[in-house]
Amino acid sequence: MRESWKRLAIDTATKYVYLSLVVDDKEVDCVYEEGLNNHSVTVIPHLWTILKRHGLSLTDIDEVICGIGPGSYTGIRIAVTIAKMIGYLNKIKIRSVSSLALIASSAEKGLTLAMIDARRGNAFMGLFEVKNDTIMRIKADMLDNIEEYRSVLPDDTNVVAEGRPDIGRIIRSKLVEDVEDVLAMVPNYLQITEAERNKCQP
Amino acid sequence: MKSDMIVLGVETSCDETSVSVVKNGKEVLANQVLSQIDIHKEYGGVVPEIASREHVKGIALVFDQAIKKAGIAYSDIDLVAVTAGPGLIGSLLIGINAAKVISLNYGIPIIGVQHIAGHIYASSLEHEMEFPLLSLVVSGGHTELILMKDHYEFAKLGETMDDAVGEAYDKIARIIGLPYPGGPQVDKLAQTGTDTFNFPRPMLDSGDFNFSFSGLKSHVINVFHNLRQRQAPINTADFCRSFQEAVTDVLVNKTIAAKTSYQVKQIIVAGGVAANKGLREKMLRQITDVPVYFPHIRYCTDNAAMIAAAGYFKYQKTKQADDYLLNGFSRLALE
Ligand SMILES: [Zn+2]
Repeated sequence: MRESWKRLAIDTATKYVYLSLVVDDKEVDCVYEEGLNNHSVTVIPHLWTILKRHGLSLTDIDEVICGIGPGSYTGIRIAVTIAKMIGYLNKIKIRSVSSLALIASSAEKGLTLAMIDARRGNAFMGLFEVKNDTIMRIKADMLDNIEEYRSVLPDDTNVVAEGRPDIGRIIRSKLVEDVEDVLAMVPNYLQITEAERNKCQP
Repeated sequence: MKSDMIVLGVETSCDETSVSVVKNGKEVLANQVLSQIDIHKEYGGVVPEIASREHVKGIALVFDQAIKKAGIAYSDIDLVAVTAGPGLIGSLLIGINAAKVISLNYGIPIIGVQHIAGHIYASSLEHEMEFPLLSLVVSGGHTELILMKDHYEFAKLGETMDDAVGEAYDKIARIIGLPYPGGPQVDKLAQTGTDTFNFPRPMLDSGDFNFSFSGLKSHVINVFHNLRQRQAPINTADFCRSFQEAVTDVLVNKTIAAKTSYQVKQIIVAGGVAANKGLREKMLRQITDVPVYFPHIRYCTDNAAMIAAAGYFKYQKTKQADDYLLNGFSRLALE
């Protein structure tokens, strides 16, 4: 009998902690829970609970799909740190996906704008086409002014800022990429730090 | 029966990503430190967001280097000790979550360590502790006198009311125009100077074990600005020496007073400023009746070996590990 393929999905780019256990393309467990700025505390306990529920150990996982941002800087670092450590310790494949794609996958069918607030009228935004069983990218993730970005979109565009990801759509999409060098893996911040920006200015 | 205890230490509280392997609280099998100092130098100080980004980038690599250097497998590890605070919160969380993954992956107990306890226990990597013991903790963030009556029993005798001594050093360095980090540069210049300015010795006779350096700092800065305004020549070596003499007089005298009050058997000078030559010389010259230990320079600055050592003794004392709800704290008192 063929061993089943166990995937773990993780994302902490928003105020929600997201963990999913997928066995042979079927989601068998999922945590999607609002956290109070304490992902660092709760992610590993949630992961431990999920593994225990299915009689698994972390070393049984075959692949990790990690939301690498954009989103909350502190948040995306948690998921990436955990994913890269799991990948490094167990020598398994780590794959990355846009945290915005994960949010968009929760939407109804159709043109979908996923956004994560970045204050001062700005947001991290990604535009996707959500299909029945998959999701496609329409426009690259970017940090932009919300009104300007939305002004050119059709009125019937879905707009989502949260929602439990549909991991099946994600897995079947072309949006999941292999992380070539796990040791060097970093989040997708989409912008340099304020200190670096200020230094660049003449 | 297995009697050796191998502790994996993890320290990411500021701008060094460090992972170490320490056997039985004293034998360092590996002490890897990935320093970000060259990056932060350009900003004249540690930029927290950049520090966090660098920690994520380097963390797994530093683990790998430490394990390979130690020549062990992860399954050989008996305890994971990680800095829980105080420090930069974004930086702490990287080390804590990486440590939790190791703990979960191999079923190894995990324990959170207070950073200052780590600095004190750096000494135990080289010298057996004898109690009661007095520790002067001096760094960019701390200036305190700690009394230990036994392993992992800390009582704070006194602390700075305002600036930490390392902070004052860096500020003086900046005024003079020395590159970051300025403390060691002031120390170096002071070696060739003479105490000609006779700066005040704050709280020397306060009768307690507290410190204050912000008044001295302002006074020294004012003197410097006045001289420059009058376009008077400034001998920076003498200037640095005068500042250093004032600071070390206070530190050494308070340490001696505490030593006498509590009849301590050993003194440990811990933290980044323990690397200061002027402080070392004065301390060793003036205290000769009990041993005064300064950790090796590589264990004075932030490193994970000291966290592993502290974690070892904490675990021996409490026999209790933390659970996965372990969190990081930007402020965290010495237990
Ligand atoms: Zn320190």
